Amino acid sequence: MRLRVLPKERVPDLVRALMADYRVWGPKAKGPQFAFEPLYDPAEMRLDYNISILSPKVALQPPQERVAVFHLDGGFTVEPVIEAEPTVIFGMHTCDLHALALLDKAFSADFPDAHYLERRKKTLIVSMECLQPCDEHSFCKSMGTWTADSGYDLHLIDLGDAYGVYVGTEAGEALLAKYAQARPATDADVRRLNEVMSTKWPRFPHRLNFDAAELPSLLATAYDHPIWAELGDRCLSCGSCTNVCPTCYCFNVIDSPDLSLKEAVRMRRWDSCQLDEFARVASGENFREARAARQRHRMFRKGKWLYERFGEMGCVGCGRCIRACLTHINIVDTFNAIHASQHRR
Amino acid sequence: MSKSPVAKPKVAFFDFASCEGCQLTVVDSLQTHLDLLDAVEIVNFREAATLDGWDFDIAFVEGSITRPKDEERLRRIREQAKVLVALGACADTGCVNALKNLQPPEEVRRYVYGEHADWYETYAARPLSAVVKVDAVVPGCPIDPDEFVEVVKALLVGKKPPIPDYPVCVECKLKGNVCIFHVGGICMGPVTRAGCGAICPTYGDGCEGCRGIIPHPNENAMEEVLDEAGLTLDDIMHYFTMFNAYREVGTGKWE
Repeated sequence: MRLRVLPKERVPDLVRALMADYRVWGPKAKGPQFAFEPLYDPAEMRLDYNISILSPKVALQPPQERVAVFHLDGGFTVEPVIEAEPTVIFGMHTCDLHALALLDKAFSADFPDAHYLERRKKTLIVSMECLQPCDEHSFCKSMGTWTADSGYDLHLIDLGDAYGVYVGTEAGEALLAKYAQARPATDADVRRLNEVMSTKWPRFPHRLNFDAAELPSLLATAYDHPIWAELGDRCLSCGSCTNVCPTCYCFNVIDSPDLSLKEAVRMRRWDSCQLDEFARVASGENFREARAARQRHRMFRKGKWLYERFGEMGCVGCGRCIRACLTHINIVDTFNAIHASQHRR
Repeated sequence: MSKSPVAKPKVAFFDFASCEGCQLTVVDSLQTHLDLLDAVEIVNFREAATLDGWDFDIAFVEGSITRPKDEERLRRIREQAKVLVALGACADTGCVNALKNLQPPEEVRRYVYGEHADWYETYAARPLSAVVKVDAVVPGCPIDPDEFVEVVKALLVGKKPPIPDYPVCVECKLKGNVCIFHVGGICMGPVTRAGCGAICPTYGDGCEGCRGIIPHPNENAMEEVLDEAGLTLDDIMHYFTMFNAYREVGTGKWE
């Protein structure tokens, strides 16, 4: 892996230069929290953020987007709408980078999703190494997502007055060459990098009481576990856990005509398996009517089913669902409780 | 897409106990959707025009029913209308009008009408659906102009209007907002019907539940959330009844 060094004071110039050719998304302050949004001024970017409210997937799968336009005047024609522009996502943390690997697979499988994939093709990822956990809810170390050696075009590691920059792709190399004058790393830089990384590891706690590789088989034995009823009693079915999740990708499709009834737009909007009506089908049957069944569905998606389908774990340990839940439903505690009860038997 | 049941439907607006702010919002929606006037023919709209026709297909009715004699007029509207739409929270849920149902009738009458309390015939406030069949609703206090237009479009193509059955939290999260509870506020978003674009939390205020409570809310869990946020039982009751007293107590102390 090629390592370069970029002095920190050059980052604003880099971002400004990128903004001329790309839409640049980065972490910005939002009240006392942070959000990934398009940057209009490099000074808005807060690379010292801990975690964003929504994951940076918003740049690739917007909460709501147009997917097609219908013309109903004199016949019926459909025009797909693909809205993709050259984009750089700057400052993505590695948990979200791992989530992106899953989204890439999910949107490529079965019916490749042109809306996501076109955007993805035009998007460069500049990720960042976290040197400390976001807060007490992060469990990225348990999920193995606290660092990354691929999936990015460029990867930044804070060395104090400069960033160490790993180049992950040719596109990343080209971007660095065109927009930033990063210098090759010296032996001293590599020593500094090793110091930074070796002090990083102990700062991150393991929060799962077992190896995450056990999750799929553990859950396989827990379909009828009493914990689901407990979670169902507490769940508000507000959908916040899935809406903030970096690996959730479900959406609903909504058609809306204009008032002349000659044109219509097909929109899609994030949907959530936690909502009351998510599993209602045309016959009127709702096959996941109980909140307990919906929470179980979510936990199984995160810890088992997505892994079995795509080879990537559906949970990346970012902890967003835990922070967002007003009734303290906690995926780590849930997995640990199941593990504990299985091992008591 | 199916053909409209009526090519250019005749539309009428009526009101009962309300501030008429929802009809005002209908007028306001013409600022961005002037084409509404091409899509329908308005035959009765006291708030906005000197029209008083009684030959209509769709009736938009604002306001709660608060007097026995309101029922007679509402039934006449119902008989005439192919589609009756409850316009706004007063018509949909009873809204703040139903707060009086929590208090003794004599006290309320005297407080409002003073020494002439006997002159006025009034009974417990109720939504339209307590009296007649309602085909569709436009929730909210006031209604959201864009949602009103979506309801009109759905009626034009003969579809069920797309009123969300999920809570405000969904729209709030999709907007990437900071959760009101995370900054020390109180919010009814987790149990309140979405469709407003989470407008209050987006501007920093907690949701007060004006669009009504979602179907199948987890009320116990919501009460625990409010309790944890520091509310007393009385406060919690106030949050659940400010806009949704009829849902909580029906006609309450009045019958």
